[in-house]
Amino acid sequence: MMGLLQVTDLKKNFGKESAVRGLTFQLEQGKCVALLGPNGAGKTTTLRMLAGLLEPSSGEIIFGEHHSVTDYRKWLGYLPQNPTFYGWMSGQEYIRFAAGLSGMEQKEISKRTEAVLAKVGLQDAAKRRISGYSGGMKQRLGFAQALVHEPKLLILDEPVSALDPIGRREVINLLREIREETTVLFSTHVLHDAEEICDDILVMAKGRLAEQGSLSSLREKHRQPLVIVQVEREREALLWLDSLKSKPYVLQADIKADIAELTVHDLGSARDELMREATENRIPLVRFEAGSSSLEDMFVKVVSKQ
Amino acid sequence: MDEIIAYLPLILPILILQLVLAVIGLISLSKAQEVRGPKWMWILIIVLGNMVGSILYFVIGRRDV
Amino acid sequence: MRSTWIFYRKEMLEMSRSFKLLWIPIVFAILGIMMPITSLFMPEILEMSGGVPPEMLSLYETPSSAMVMVQVLSQYSTMGVLILVLSCMNSVSGERYGGTAELIMVKPISSFAIIIAKWLAQCTQVFIAFGFGYIASFYYTYQMIGPLSWKSGLASFGLYGLWLILGITIALLFSTVLRGAGAAFVTLAILALLSLLNSLLPTWFSWSPARLTALASEVLVGNLLSVTSVVICCLITIGIIVFSLLSAARLLQKRVLPN
Repeated sequence: MMGLLQVTDLKKNFGKESAVRGLTFQLEQGKCVALLGPNGAGKTTTLRMLAGLLEPSSGEIIFGEHHSVTDYRKWLGYLPQNPTFYGWMSGQEYIRFAAGLSGMEQKEISKRTEAVLAKVGLQDAAKRRISGYSGGMKQRLGFAQALVHEPKLLILDEPVSALDPIGRREVINLLREIREETTVLFSTHVLHDAEEICDDILVMAKGRLAEQGSLSSLREKHRQPLVIVQVEREREALLWLDSLKSKPYVLQADIKADIAELTVHDLGSARDELMREATENRIPLVRFEAGSSSLEDMFVKVVSKQ
Repeated sequence: MDEIIAYLPLILPILILQLVLAVIGLISLSKAQEVRGPKWMWILIIVLGNMVGSILYFVIGRRDV
Repeated sequence: MRSTWIFYRKEMLEMSRSFKLLWIPIVFAILGIMMPITSLFMPEILEMSGGVPPEMLSLYETPSSAMVMVQVLSQYSTMGVLILVLSCMNSVSGERYGGTAELIMVKPISSFAIIIAKWLAQCTQVFIAFGFGYIASFYYTYQMIGPLSWKSGLASFGLYGLWLILGITIALLFSTVLRGAGAAFVTLAILALLSLLNSLLPTWFSWSPARLTALASEVLVGNLLSVTSVVICCLITIGIIVFSLLSAARLLQKRVLPN
């Protein structure tokens, strides 16, 4: 594997506010990576710095052998959250314009424009004015303009969040195809979208990188034994439930009225212990579940911890 | 008056230009998806306002898309 | 170089699709033709409107053809400049605030190339509109009022054209920092201030670009111009234009795009 993009201690301040507080990560060629984080985590700022739209306050971005964004722009495809086009152009004209600006040869422009419009399913609307396009069509045109020059890295800012379920499905399928051809970095605030499209995630919260790695390794790392206990709403039972948080085998307890979510050391022994105590104290159990925490729990935890 | 008729071939173009300007304004208006204010108002302004009406439409009424 | 050409073609396509390439030259032509016609038929027009004593009418003298051309230029100084500035006020700001700049600025095109392409497109517009209007009014004045010198007409066209280009250059510069209406307002204020200072204190501001309009009129009337004052005026104007273009390119690159 070759490192395509190397980001070192990237920072961005807006006045006194710091939006990005020191990011360090590496993107390998051919990977599809999701930049995951809640709104306001600094995802868009990061992507805009990578695309050269914002100057970093400090830090370094190295793309292949290029140290300056003006040198690697040629190899970049970028799709902002709400792409805006010239409404008076036709879809085809816009893609040809974008291809020309990327420095492609005339002959290649025609060939690639046709290919890329067909790929995003706009061949029938290619000659129509963009002002008449729907939101989903504009998003697909955005993909076409980002792909036409066959970039080495495709940067997408929240490509699926603004779309309706059908448009979302289309874009996810499109992304699955694209990830076979080039390196993709896209931001999202929905873990599910990240899981559906790619293998690697960078979790960002409050301007910092909170977690990174492949989805499977993160799932493994954050798989913690979890027991959920629900009791009848009786005084005795609720008192017992509350007393569980001081038990030695409980790592962390989240108790809401009659339900307790207990993160434990060892699932087997904790389960035995809890069952024994419940029987001894004649606790009226409603629900007893043993399992492991999900990536979603990790995401929520990581994000709220920061 | 005779003088005006003698110069008619020279005056005619200005009328034609005015007409062309109004027609371009109306074509642009009919194609525009969005204008500032109601369209019928702009039709009146272009037709009745001569050159100034058309200029007003192009400068104020038209929204660049 | 190639990206400048591609961007220039896009600008020209935009201007023709928005009918700017049609309506602005037509307005310039109407303004230009109107002047010789009204000059010639002033007595008839006054008579038809009534209320003007006949002895006043008999005093009316048709102005010389050169004077009519001077009046045409003064028409362009107000209506013409206004229209040109309003038509290019959104050139950069429209792309910045409208969001289209976001997709352009990530492409391998320099901000200087973008500014130059936009400027050349606006210059083309000025050339077509002012050229069409000027030729039309020159022809009409020649036909209806009297002979004019081709040479002085051409010189006047060049001098006045440079003033118009200064106007659109300043509008372009402010369009990179302000929204469209603000850019137009500041530009018109600067041009008005230059003209005002020039007419109030002509000796102090003999170098001012606003002198170009006066020079353009003088050359029409047939006055001999001092070569040094023409050269100084032109050089200073060109200097301001170059400085404005460089600043605009720098500002476009440095200023953060609105989200």
